[in-house]
Amino acid sequence: MLELRDLVKHYPAIGGEPVRAVDGVSLKVEPGEMVALYGPSGSGKTTLLLMVATLLQPTSGAVLIGDRDVSSLSEKEASHFRLSELGFIRQNFDLLPGVTAIDNAVLKLLKSMRWRDAHRQIAPLLERLGLGQRLGHRAELLSMGERQRVMIARALSTEPRLLLADEPTGSLDSQRGREVLELLTELCREHQVAIVLVSHDPQAAAYADRVYALRDGKLSDYEPDQAYVRAAAQ
Amino acid sequence: MKALNVLHLYSVRVRARLLQEAFAIVGIAAGVALLFASQVASSSLSSSVAQLSQGIVGNATLQLVARDSHGFDEGLLAKVRHIPGVHAAAPLLEVSANAVGPKGHESVELVGVDSSLSELGGALVRNTKLQPVAGFGAVVLPAPLAHTIGVTKFGNEATFEVGGRVEPAALYEQLHAKQIGPLIQSPIAVAPLSFAQEVAGLGGRVSRVLVQPARGREAAVRSALVALAAGRLNVESANYDEKLFARAAAATNQSTALFAVISALVGFLFAFNAMLLTVPQRRRLIADLRRDGYTPRTVIAVMMFDAAVLGILASLLGLLLGDELSIHLFHSNPGYLSSAFAVGSQRVVGAQSIAIAVLGGMLAASVAVLSPLKDIISRDPLAAITQKEGGSGKADRRLAIGGVVCLAAATAILLAAPKEAILGMVFLVAALLLLLPIPLDATLALVRRIAPAITSAVPHVAVMELRAGRARAIAIAATGAIAVFGSVAIETAHGDLLHGLENAATDLNSFTDAWVSPTGSYNLLKTTSFKPTAQAKLARLPGVRAVRLYRGGLLDIGERRVWVIAPPAEATPLLPASQIVEGNLQRATAEVRAGGWVIVSQAIADEHHLHIGDPFALPTPNPTTLRVAALSTNIGWAPGAIIMNADQYARSWGSTDVSAYNVLFAPGLSPARGRAEIAKALGSGSGLTVETAQQHANQQRALSRQGLERLTQIATLILIAAVLAMAAAMGNMVWQRRPRLAKLKLEGFPRAELWRTILLESFLLLGVGCLSGALFGLYGQQLLDRALANVINFPVVYSFGILIALGSLALVTAAAVAIVAIPGYLAAGVPPAVALQD
Repeated sequence: MLELRDLVKHYPAIGGEPVRAVDGVSLKVEPGEMVALYGPSGSGKTTLLLMVATLLQPTSGAVLIGDRDVSSLSEKEASHFRLSELGFIRQNFDLLPGVTAIDNAVLKLLKSMRWRDAHRQIAPLLERLGLGQRLGHRAELLSMGERQRVMIARALSTEPRLLLADEPTGSLDSQRGREVLELLTELCREHQVAIVLVSHDPQAAAYADRVYALRDGKLSDYEPDQAYVRAAAQ
Repeated sequence: MKALNVLHLYSVRVRARLLQEAFAIVGIAAGVALLFASQVASSSLSSSVAQLSQGIVGNATLQLVARDSHGFDEGLLAKVRHIPGVHAAAPLLEVSANAVGPKGHESVELVGVDSSLSELGGALVRNTKLQPVAGFGAVVLPAPLAHTIGVTKFGNEATFEVGGRVEPAALYEQLHAKQIGPLIQSPIAVAPLSFAQEVAGLGGRVSRVLVQPARGREAAVRSALVALAAGRLNVESANYDEKLFARAAAATNQSTALFAVISALVGFLFAFNAMLLTVPQRRRLIADLRRDGYTPRTVIAVMMFDAAVLGILASLLGLLLGDELSIHLFHSNPGYLSSAFAVGSQRVVGAQSIAIAVLGGMLAASVAVLSPLKDIISRDPLAAITQKEGGSGKADRRLAIGGVVCLAAATAILLAAPKEAILGMVFLVAALLLLLPIPLDATLALVRRIAPAITSAVPHVAVMELRAGRARAIAIAATGAIAVFGSVAIETAHGDLLHGLENAATDLNSFTDAWVSPTGSYNLLKTTSFKPTAQAKLARLPGVRAVRLYRGGLLDIGERRVWVIAPPAEATPLLPASQIVEGNLQRATAEVRAGGWVIVSQAIADEHHLHIGDPFALPTPNPTTLRVAALSTNIGWAPGAIIMNADQYARSWGSTDVSAYNVLFAPGLSPARGRAEIAKALGSGSGLTVETAQQHANQQRALSRQGLERLTQIATLILIAAVLAMAAAMGNMVWQRRPRLAKLKLEGFPRAELWRTILLESFLLLGVGCLSGALFGLYGQQLLDRALANVINFPVVYSFGILIALGSLALVTAAAVAIVAIPGYLAAGVPPAVALQD
């Protein structure tokens, strides 16, 4: 499903060596598989996700979805890929202020579905995420956790083949966090969705099929007793 | 907080929002410019007349004035000077003339004076060497006028056409600004009294004697002058001309003032839109200052400093822009008023115009900056940035109720008190603004209802975005609404007025085939008299059926300079049928034809409490009491008109002079041929002009249009300002939305779809605003029509200017959407990664 081939992202630095944000990462994620990436701040996790989401051009290497290298798509093709094949959960920031929770959640469905139908389709998911009473509230009136759940609903709304999750439980209490991880796992299994999850949350590892560590832009095996994992978990 | 710290705080903040602040300054400046330019335009004409009047009368406070252009015997001057308490008295002869030179001709007021005028200290003669002119038979001309007609050197000869006479006069000197100040733009020619009398053919006659009473003796001198006048002359204050002009120009000035206010409102909304851009930063600052312990008072001081800087800079820029506008667009065009007053083309920038414009700018800045006042004084220090639960339903309901009340008030005025139409317009504007959220919400609801039929995210996202930024959306829609409202109301009412004036012009030319009258554009109303020596000669021309004598003039009644129309008694039709508003046309025609009866404008009748059949004492040279046969419109002359037959005019004025020959052609003779025959018979030096009835009617129509030109200019400018204001506000709103657009792109929305969304948003917003404005504008048309007809008594033809409304609506919407398309396209190209920088 998803294959990263020797993916590199270097940023030029003034008067010094370029910053190697992602340095030769290779990774395969199969449909129905959840892969978790652990790493401290600045380790290159988010850069990696942005390249997969076609939001950042790699310096070298390839991002293959099936046989297609999405890193070389045109702007229009990349838009279509993000809209129909990708779900991307980020932390809090992507909701439209002034727009209600349910309208924020159905945003991606509007491309191909009637408004009312889109509402009907998304409502059970929002209900399941504990937002049943908050559907008509504007984004800025929601708590951080509620905003995150609206984002999750939006990402899942189009039943994507690939789901990227950047700290999906970062703003949730442990109970809500567990529920979200269970939901992601279910989706992964039921719909054969490939999930790449970046997290500091140690409980996420328990739900992932494979767990890797990312440090200084390089991928390595995850070792729960590593100091940076413990620090991240705290 | 210390004042210097407030300044420092401002300077560090302004660096972070320089672009938004600059946009706000431009917004307020646009409003100030519109207000200032229209103020200057409306005050320039009155100021021009006042300057000329004061330049002549100097320290005189009283005057003895003739009731017609023949003046009175200058022997009265000696009697005036003998009145106890008279400090100084100076004679004056003023006649309208056509000054002709090698380069062109101009209508001027030929002013004959003697050396005693300089004792009164008026600016016109204070630095003018009049004394040496005497005996030379020469004139002095303001330099611009001298250049226009091409008479610029000592001894160059100009020709003066006065009441059918043609007299040469040499130039003695040009008057420059350093001698006569702003009077330099006045249409005057100054000559020694005796020479002016000779040119005008009024030997030994003067039109007025200016009187400066000794201190404390004014009442006694006035009484003595009244006795001397013996009911055949007027005794008036020296600034009487200014009062007469103010009355005559009231219609134009009132309409200009009304639309200046609308212009200012458009400018204010422009500014308000601009200010909305910086509201989040200001709210953040308010919350930060309050959280750090500053009192509401300090916060208000900080905000007021913002307002002061914004207001001052915007006002300065606005005054500069407005000055350019008033020079290049809002010319002070005297138009039809120059038929009865010596109006110059000077642009007078008074302190009042500057003060009103600056006050408007400062007010707009203060209101906009202090809009979160409630949150500043709130007990909760973070109120300015706290998101409030619950909708704005209650406030909306209150606004809607207010709107309905205002609409009801405007309707009541339309039906029951049309004279209060200006107040009605104010209610209508308020109703439009208060009710605007209703059609906007209804349109968004409608789009949302029908959108499911469309398999596109465009309408959904557009509605979502407009709902998210509702306050901004309403402000932008309001800008368009007010602009289209003003433009439609003024243009349609203007059209109805023109239609009425054209009817009047047609009627007033229906009883003759050709006019023969003294040359000069000042004589459009046929008010200059001459000796009818050519009647028999013209009557003998082949193809001429009859030559009748037409009389007419201007008569000062109270503070009105009334137009007297006196067609020959045998004219058919004698009365302008379309202009009669009360009375029986047939009976009135018979009565006026018989003599002893007049038709009076409704406004004059109302002022003097006259009804049909009532006697009306006219202050003519031979005081006469006539009976009112019917009431009419003002026939296009704002101060009002009176119609009598030409014989009656001769009796009341005590003169057999005429104002025009009405020539009727025999069947088969074309008007153009007839005109040529008459001109040939009169010869080139007659001082008379021949026009066909059609030519004269066209000239009257052209002058009517010219007189109303400023209203058209204002309406056009409002539209242009609105297009720019809305495009700028929308463009800026779109540009500021780039992070939001990036979020949508992050989810996979392509550029083209986002661009279409922006265009749809613009179309919905501007469409709703402009359509509401157009509908209210048509309502405003009815109010204005009734105001013109009832207050100023203009001949208005009522209609609904639907085509004009549709045109304005389409123009503003299309132009603004087209302009927004560019920043919209650029904004839609925002990289999705911008959302990640949030």
